[in-house]
Amino acid sequence: MINGAQLGEKAYRISQLSKRYMMEIILVILVLLLIVTAPGFFTLGNILNIFRNVAITGVISFAMTMVIIGGEIDLSVGSSIALSAVITSTVTGKLAEAGVMPMESAVWIGMLVAIIVGMGIGLFNGFVRTKFNIPSFIATLAMLNVLYGIAAIISKGFPVTTLPSWYNWIGAGRFFNLIPVPALWLIIAFIFVYVIMNKTKLGREIYAVGGNPEAARLSGINVKFVKIIILMIVQMFAAFSGIILSAQVMSGSSTFGRGYEMDVIAAVIIGGASLSGGIGKAWGTFIGIVFMGVINNGMTLFGVGDFEKYVVRGLLILGAVMLNTIQLQSLQKVKQK
Amino acid sequence: MSILRASNITKRFPGTVALDDVSISFQSGKVNALVGKNGSGKSTLVKVINGAYNEFDGNLYLDDVEFRYQQPKQAFDAGIATVYQEMSLIPGLSVAENILLGRYRMKGKFIDWKETFQDAQDILDDMGVTLPVKEIVAHLSVWQCQVIEIAKAMSVNPKVLILDEPTSALAQHETEMLYELIRRLVKKDVIVIYISHRLQELWEIADTCSVLRDGKYVGTLDMPEATHADLLSLMFGDLTLKKRPVDVVAQEQVVFKVDKLTREPAFRDISFELRKGEVLGIAGMLGAGRTELLRAIFGADIPDSGTIHIDGEEVKNPSPVLMKHKGVAFIPEDRKQQGLVQILSIKDNLNHSSLDLISNGIFIDNKKEAEFSKRQIKDLDIKIPGEEYPMTSLSGGNQQKVVVGKWLNIGPKIVIFDEPSRGIDVNAKQQIFQIIWDLSRHGLSSIVVSSELEELLEICNRILIIKDGQFTDEVNPDELSVNELYALCMGGN
Repeated sequence: MINGAQLGEKAYRISQLSKRYMMEIILVILVLLLIVTAPGFFTLGNILNIFRNVAITGVISFAMTMVIIGGEIDLSVGSSIALSAVITSTVTGKLAEAGVMPMESAVWIGMLVAIIVGMGIGLFNGFVRTKFNIPSFIATLAMLNVLYGIAAIISKGFPVTTLPSWYNWIGAGRFFNLIPVPALWLIIAFIFVYVIMNKTKLGREIYAVGGNPEAARLSGINVKFVKIIILMIVQMFAAFSGIILSAQVMSGSSTFGRGYEMDVIAAVIIGGASLSGGIGKAWGTFIGIVFMGVINNGMTLFGVGDFEKYVVRGLLILGAVMLNTIQLQSLQKVKQK
Repeated sequence: MSILRASNITKRFPGTVALDDVSISFQSGKVNALVGKNGSGKSTLVKVINGAYNEFDGNLYLDDVEFRYQQPKQAFDAGIATVYQEMSLIPGLSVAENILLGRYRMKGKFIDWKETFQDAQDILDDMGVTLPVKEIVAHLSVWQCQVIEIAKAMSVNPKVLILDEPTSALAQHETEMLYELIRRLVKKDVIVIYISHRLQELWEIADTCSVLRDGKYVGTLDMPEATHADLLSLMFGDLTLKKRPVDVVAQEQVVFKVDKLTREPAFRDISFELRKGEVLGIAGMLGAGRTELLRAIFGADIPDSGTIHIDGEEVKNPSPVLMKHKGVAFIPEDRKQQGLVQILSIKDNLNHSSLDLISNGIFIDNKKEAEFSKRQIKDLDIKIPGEEYPMTSLSGGNQQKVVVGKWLNIGPKIVIFDEPSRGIDVNAKQQIFQIIWDLSRHGLSSIVVSSELEELLEICNRILIIKDGQFTDEVNPDELSVNELYALCMGGN
């Protein structure tokens, strides 16, 4: 027999569980709604498309999760996408033009240079943040403009299309003619960040630094090093995203990535990370990414116009963040009792 | 002349009686000091008077008229103004705006700035101080901010002015200026109640001194006639000290040596040696430079000059990371802000200093991580609801043990304790002392700072006295009383 107290306990547990998995529940409800109402939503092709479409911002979202948990932010990732795409295609073109090597192999050098430049930008951001104590919000906002400018200067404002045809596979290829290659990059980014945050010393340090930088410092954790590393990793991922995007459209342009930083950050926040640092999970960000992808996809299927999409997406992000905030506050209240 | 009288005040909190039948009175025209150890009930009494607490037994009278305010705002408007040690100014606003906040002169719907600035100027003139009323507060010194706080209180023409530790953030010459200001205010028939931990300054500024001990009123002294001994015996009564166990003794070997360490303006020319197994106390009054010294020793702040040697080897460019690797642990005074990451779990916090030891440099060894946290929870008898719970679920004493445990996990050689017993209950205190003694038995050395000087007499093998940033004396705790130790820290007569 179940008595009242046990029943109460059970109801309490269910309410706690539903709070903890609120975003997952909302996502499932959203998907069920779309399955019923949107023709063509629940097909293998469409589901795989969703993953392909979110890959470019999603890859960065995972790295951004580390940055936000660490109490920092990087607003310059949108223009890093453009810069990386421009660098890859330009370096490839120049090497081939100079006759050093054919485009097919030169593109490897192009990608390598783009990734190294990305890490350099992250190092610079981290340096400005830790040496001069300038908030990363401001430093990277300034960087957002600088990097667009550099990308435009290098490309002289035109798309650079000097890329070998095999390169297209990175952004538009499919395994077994089915699974989009970018989905693989997304999964790799997820595993990378999941392992760092849950299995490594660096992960523990990131949580500590974001949760209370002074306590972390006085625990003998190298706070500056941790901040520089996370800002480098997110730039490295942004550079890789630029490679995926340039491979998808087979060119590099300074117009790439405009406003992507907002989608990147929105997914992280929807996933439950706290902008004040110390709280967040790779899995949560995964949910956030899929949530954004499903909404965009649903609106496309319903034929919602591009302008209207902005409004709907913005409001949904706002709603999701409000839910998360309420949930976080109620969880904290329970824990304090 | 007016009199503030508290009659038979009793204030209970769950589990304790903070004020026990306190009857006390304060006169205008005098600086009435109110003193007592931490937890003696001073701040509770202030909060009863200024309306922050409205549920208590007993009565309050101002010139024989009974009063009891429901909120600090009501009391403030009625002329009972309190200046707290934490500044409550808005840095982006001007001096005048801060003084008259929310009570500006209006011309219709708009603020009459000319009149508002004039009002502020009048208040400052009346106090006899010069301050630019249009200046932004962020550009002013701490002392000037303190003056604005007082001016804000004076703007309501208070009958009672309560100053809570007004000198704690001031430099010496600023303190002198504050005293002059207070003396001028006293002449205006204001009842000044002056709360301070810096006992030595009472002889300079106070006319009378009322003492609370364990929530009871124990007496009032006339300051000009009182001696240090009179005041201390009122504050502490006949305190019998517990003795540390006999096997807590220092060995010969010097493990840690500080030579001519200086960090202006906090401290200068600090030199001392620490022996293996020794429990070394550093005693001093608030603001003597104790915390600043400990932070510099641990590398949290960079000293101007001087050297630190560990096991005979000089430590160059000390930083918390380096000191940790040299086996130095640091338990900071403010465990919430500096010692713990409150939103993370107990297990995480217990491992924050020992991440190098539970990992191979990159990956965490989950088994070791669990062992490390379990070991401290067991050894230090930390009472927890579960390892995965956040720090906020623990009491002060258990939180403090987590900070200690986090550091014991690195296997330290030297442990620095800054106020290890602050804000924790008597039992937890004794447990922390036991831990310090156990460390000594295992050959670990400790440096302990505490505001409760009687604690140092109980815990330490040797005590160094710090005053105004310099060591002035070295004493053997077995050879002197609490009162003598306080007198040494205060200096003077």
